[in-house]
Amino acid sequence: MSSRRERLSTLLLVLTLALLLSLLPLPDALEPLRPYWTGLVLLYWALEVRGMVSLGMAFLVGLLLDVLSGSLMGLNALSLVVLIYLVQHFRARLRFFPPWQQALAVLGLLVNDHIIRLWIATLTGEPLPGWEYWLSPLVGMALWPWLFLLMDRVRAGRRQKKA
Amino acid sequence: MPGWAFRNWAGANPGGNTGRAGDRMARLSPTGSTRLFSPEGLRTARLMLYLLLCVVLMAMDQRGQYVPRMRAAFETMLEPVYHVVGLPSRIAGTVSEFSRSYAEVSAENEFLKDSLMRQAASVQQMQSLMEENRRLRALLDATTGRDFEYRFAEMVQVNLDPFSHQVIIDRGSADGVFTGQAVLDGSGVMGQVGDVRLHMSDVLLISDPDHALPVQLARTGLRTVAFGTGETTTLLLPNVPLQADVRPGDLLVTSGLGDRFPPGFPVAEIESVDRDNGETFAEVRARPLAALDRGREVLLVIPRAAVGGEIKDAATEIPQDAPEPGDGS
Repeated sequence: MSSRRERLSTLLLVLTLALLLSLLPLPDALEPLRPYWTGLVLLYWALEVRGMVSLGMAFLVGLLLDVLSGSLMGLNALSLVVLIYLVQHFRARLRFFPPWQQALAVLGLLVNDHIIRLWIATLTGEPLPGWEYWLSPLVGMALWPWLFLLMDRVRAGRRQKKA
Repeated sequence: MPGWAFRNWAGANPGGNTGRAGDRMARLSPTGSTRLFSPEGLRTARLMLYLLLCVVLMAMDQRGQYVPRMRAAFETMLEPVYHVVGLPSRIAGTVSEFSRSYAEVSAENEFLKDSLMRQAASVQQMQSLMEENRRLRALLDATTGRDFEYRFAEMVQVNLDPFSHQVIIDRGSADGVFTGQAVLDGSGVMGQVGDVRLHMSDVLLISDPDHALPVQLARTGLRTVAFGTGETTTLLLPNVPLQADVRPGDLLVTSGLGDRFPPGFPVAEIESVDRDNGETFAEVRARPLAALDRGREVLLVIPRAAVGGEIKDAATEIPQDAPEPGDGS
């Protein structure tokens, strides 16, 4: 039970960092390159630790992100709930992909997420964004293997410290 | 959703080389179909529930029911987060400020002195004009115009959802900011205050597709409404009559109708006028003068008591009549 608590505290710490990273201002030129930090972190934990990230948790984290980033209430919640649902559904398969294939799957998930966002944005009367809108999923894909290794280290590090 | 994919995949399991896939298989019902009360079915039901909740929330937020108020309450609690996030850019700003060379600073100083002199000259002229205006209005027995004060505010450097068309400024209800207050920058109208928190508030930019701004052409006095398009570089004026005298380069100022924005502030410059004979209205596009996507400093407009009248605005009462102990702001 306490190892579960340990893991939860690690997850919360990493999530807080991800939320801060997604709010951090960047120069205008780099802005479209910002990866979906919160989504990537939740994705890792849903994939690697069974039963860690529930749909309810994805929903709450999404609402928090909505409030913080000033987006339409429920937009990020919807995005994360769909993302985590898909990961849970294909978890067994995704876990045994080699890294590059997993990165491709992550790209697919992120593009899917961007399509949902675009759809909602057009429903609220926004014009279509430019091509640079699609850069963020690519950056997410490129980051995925490194993020994966980093997260593994963080998780292992916390576990060793405890032992 | 991919309920079907699960079934198809169960036959050809690529991950079958370990025990992990075993528990996956065990959860399949004998027929291979997904039942409502199997774990899989429950998850789908939960997904549907959360999706429904999200959609309801979004619809309510979009229509401005309940949700914005809830959001404002949360945001007040989360104010410290913005302070933390804004810290790196504040530090970077301070560092670059300190590392500027003497020559740069003195050149800027020279430039500022110069522009201050010019501004002062035009203000002097303004004052005599205002005096004259007031006399003429008194002669005509017309209502007197309103007078305004400005308060400086700085943007909090935080990345927000680009689709939300908002910026955060570092003044809140503690500084007398109120919802609907007009916000300008050095060159034009930026938007209006949305949610007000204790020490910060959101500013809704005029580029928001839901934003409509009553404007008037400075040259001809033609009144119309400027709508946001979602792009920070374009406003749309959809109901200008086909025969109206509008030319690219014309200045748009606020008309003061609607009681949100004070009249006479520059808003945008007409960029293109598209007269299609089949239509009732010309399609007019304008470019906002304010730096909607890159400014740092803004001005909040405080309506002062009407000149010569006894109507006092509640908003100005707050800082004057209730001087707090630490009234440094």
